[in-house]
Amino acid sequence: MKRSIAAGVAVGAAVLLAVSACSSSKKGTGGGSASSGGGGAVTLSFVGADYGTGPANSTQKYWEGIASDFKAANPNITVNVQTINWNDFDNKVKTMVQNKQYPDVMEGDYFPDYAQSGLLYSAKDVTSPNTFSNLLSVFAKLNTYNGTQYGMPFTTSARTLFYNKKLFQQAGISSPPQTWDDVKADAAKVKALGKVGFGMPLGSEEAQAEALLWFLGNGGGYQDDNGDWTINSSQNAEALQFMAGMVKDGVTEPNPGTKNRTDLWKQFAQGQIGMINGSPALIPIIQEGGKLQASDWASVPIPGKSGPLDKTLGVCDNVSVFKTDTKKQDAVKKFLDFFYQDKYQVQFDKEYDLLPATNSAIKSLSSDTTFAPFLKALPNSVQYPNAPIWSTVKTQIQQQLGLAMTQDPQKILDNIQQTAKKGS
Amino acid sequence: MSETVARTRTEEIGPRRRRPARRLSYPRRAARALSPLLWIGPAIALIGVVVLWPVYVMFKTSFQRFTANGFNLGAAGWRNFTDLFDEPDLKSILVRTVVWVVVVVGVTMTISLGLAELFNQRFPGRRAARWALIAPWAASVLMTAFIFRWALDPQYGVINVFLHDVGVLKSFGSNQADWLGRPDSAFVWMMVVAIFVSLPFSTYALLAGLQTIPSELYEAARVDGASPWRTYRSITLPLLRPSFLVALLINVINVFNSFPIIWAMTRGGPGYETATSTVFMFQLKQAFIGESAAMSVLNFGLVIVVVLVFLKVTRWKDQVT
Repeated sequence: MKRSIAAGVAVGAAVLLAVSACSSSKKGTGGGSASSGGGGAVTLSFVGADYGTGPANSTQKYWEGIASDFKAANPNITVNVQTINWNDFDNKVKTMVQNKQYPDVMEGDYFPDYAQSGLLYSAKDVTSPNTFSNLLSVFAKLNTYNGTQYGMPFTTSARTLFYNKKLFQQAGISSPPQTWDDVKADAAKVKALGKVGFGMPLGSEEAQAEALLWFLGNGGGYQDDNGDWTINSSQNAEALQFMAGMVKDGVTEPNPGTKNRTDLWKQFAQGQIGMINGSPALIPIIQEGGKLQASDWASVPIPGKSGPLDKTLGVCDNVSVFKTDTKKQDAVKKFLDFFYQDKYQVQFDKEYDLLPATNSAIKSLSSDTTFAPFLKALPNSVQYPNAPIWSTVKTQIQQQLGLAMTQDPQKILDNIQQTAKKGS
Repeated sequence: MSETVARTRTEEIGPRRRRPARRLSYPRRAARALSPLLWIGPAIALIGVVVLWPVYVMFKTSFQRFTANGFNLGAAGWRNFTDLFDEPDLKSILVRTVVWVVVVVGVTMTISLGLAELFNQRFPGRRAARWALIAPWAASVLMTAFIFRWALDPQYGVINVFLHDVGVLKSFGSNQADWLGRPDSAFVWMMVVAIFVSLPFSTYALLAGLQTIPSELYEAARVDGASPWRTYRSITLPLLRPSFLVALLINVINVFNSFPIIWAMTRGGPGYETATSTVFMFQLKQAFIGESAAMSVLNFGLVIVVVLVFLKVTRWKDQVT
């Protein structure tokens, strides 16, 4: 009897932990130890995030395709590919790194403290000058630690405001919103139709993104140009107050502090939400939902307090190269130069509705109607801070910021600012 | 007690008084002394690896500084603990944890007493009913929690559909329908789920206890003309005490440590407003590993204190062994 629930729960959790730990460590060692054998044959281990929604469009396939093309061009270099579901990516990578089972090349989130701990090659050491200069320079700072760039952008994304044209028409709104007041007024009109006026995901998934878009609209942000923290600036607090006002008026979904982007994007795709900040990744969700035709929605620059923003939040996922074995450096360089070709960039972006990270690929996609508005916003996009403490700050924003809708925003921002300052 | 002491003493004195026995050689003596290890060794090793080692690592971690991604930056002294006690939310989290444990365990045990009595009666299909009772226990707690989360979805959740049909809920997607969005209602629903998954174990423990009560006692009570309530109070409850206490203690520990329900349903949010101390520990872990370890130490201490107080108050030894 004693075994009971206790054991049930504990064993379950333990097994889960053990399984995830094992699976990551096993695959991790694959790269770490089965390294360059004799005769110039080199094996690289590659770990990447999986952007697919299922086995059909798994990113595993994408990378395996590249690996086999690469093998054909370089017969003595083999690349072992492992992709990890996004939900588990951070945890698995952290586990691998904590156990010192580094992959050779990683694509996904970039961790500044890996550079800080000296685990990574600098970008210039593992790319040819051509490849390096082709990378979008706007993301360089994000990937820089102490003046050296370590991470290399691989895929990018930018935010715009999506709105449901059908609902706008029913509510008698003729043009998309340009200012905060427009947003509020339009949201109220959509709300009158019994729908959610504005989708505001301030839950733990990505509160830091939604908040930043509003902060930017009021001239705020997380850091100023000198890299000093400005989390508790009056602009930011004012933005949160405006958002709280919308919540109070009931024009957003109820309790935004507990709502996540993934769920709200799905609701937008179902036609339940009038406006929501989105990225190109929202497009396939709309298409899958089957409720909204291409003519039923549009995306416009994000409204600011007094006019549409000329900049937006740009995010990128990055390639980092671990210093596993100096003998592999040349092979890694070849591999990076190979997969940064436009062909593969474009293939990736078409598959997952994301944006390229190289200048030449942007050029070759610029005539695409779906991508054009986002590509325009990309070069002058604003990024998250690059300080190592950011991942701590980000977590705190994700957990705490939603409270600003019901409590004093200034107090919550002060609290987060304090964390940021402590670490830098 | 005195008997044992006496016996040990004679044993100690015994060999000396007798003619010295042939002494075993040292290795053989050692082998004999160590031979019990062969039998208890695996258990000791298991406890060492699964219990003691993690406890050691937990304490060690709580005195170290880590980056959010798990790099060790060296000793932290007491800073993790001072940071933890400076958390403005800590007090309300601890209060909430007490409410969580008391309400969930209290309601679970009360309902279980009734259920156990019910399942102890003879009725057609009793076997099937007993099997069915296992379901919430056999199902993954995480899965159950997810099912409830979806059932409470403000737009499409089946519970909301039902409440709407009976006229309690006015409109879907409203604040009222967003049960898990409001901290207070979310907490109540999570307690409901916790009670739901705790019921089978408690009921079975009590049912087993009920079945050990000899039927002669009930016969005697009937002959004496005791009322059913009187019989229950004077015979069933006292004789049920050992199994009741076992179930209670295990439930207290389980419910205190309960993590998956809250994590799956609200992640302890918004902020820490639906977090118990166990969930709070995990929330901290995402960014403040050292402080989270300090919270683990605090939790560990709390469980030990609760168990010790419990054992003392219930005079465990007299009751159970």
